[in-house]
Amino acid sequence: MSSRSPQPEMLVRRPVDGQRLLEQVADQDAGANILFVGTTRRTTGSELTVGLDYEAHEPMAAAALERLKVEAIERFALTSCAIEHRLGWVPAGEASIAVALSSPHRREAFAAVEWLMERIKAEVPIWKCEAGEHGSREWAHPGDMRGVAAGPAATGGPS
Amino acid sequence: MPVPSSSTLTVALFAGMAELAGARSVTVAWSGGSVEDLRRVLGVAHPKLIPLLERSAVAVAGKYAADTQQVATGSEVAIIPPVSGG
Repeated sequence: MSSRSPQPEMLVRRPVDGQRLLEQVADQDAGANILFVGTTRRTTGSELTVGLDYEAHEPMAAAALERLKVEAIERFALTSCAIEHRLGWVPAGEASIAVALSSPHRREAFAAVEWLMERIKAEVPIWKCEAGEHGSREWAHPGDMRGVAAGPAATGGPS
Repeated sequence: MPVPSSSTLTVALFAGMAELAGARSVTVAWSGGSVEDLRRVLGVAHPKLIPLLERSAVAVAGKYAADTQQVATGSEVAIIPPVSGG
């Protein structure tokens, strides 16, 4: 397809297409292919969630996802990696994020998925607003972000 | 590039921070200073932001900034409250 972008969008406002990401990272020299799909949970505590509304500092989030992808490829010697995060309204049960990656070896591939998800949840400027069944809306702001600016320690750490 | 004002700084707000302020950005009087100074100025101008601001990072020109970093007038500044993506 001539219209296919060489740099796929990592922030999308449509359903996440995990299968397409998996195809994107496929490589004949990679024996391990993993697709992780994170979906919005219906239950948080006692209230039922009808969906999540995602918002991002888009330029920063896109840059951070790209940087984490490159770092994961280097750190875990991956063959390829693709990430897609959905923004806007995501109904309960639908995917908010997909990480697909390929690697010559299974162990590194699983470790890379875990590492990427941890980092994405800790430092990429994306937020979710939980919409409850009775009309409640609440932004999720867990923890403390002041450490992320502390320097190399914020982006390093053990794998 | 628009000519930056010499005496104000516009700070972008997101998610719960924007909700608390009732706006996507706030403009404060600014003649230069550190990120720590900016936190103080924001807190004085918008006291209801303080609890979340204390747990937020500050981004300058699209990068997380340490509290000691200087913020020039006209800088692109955003408050990044604790993230919850994924």
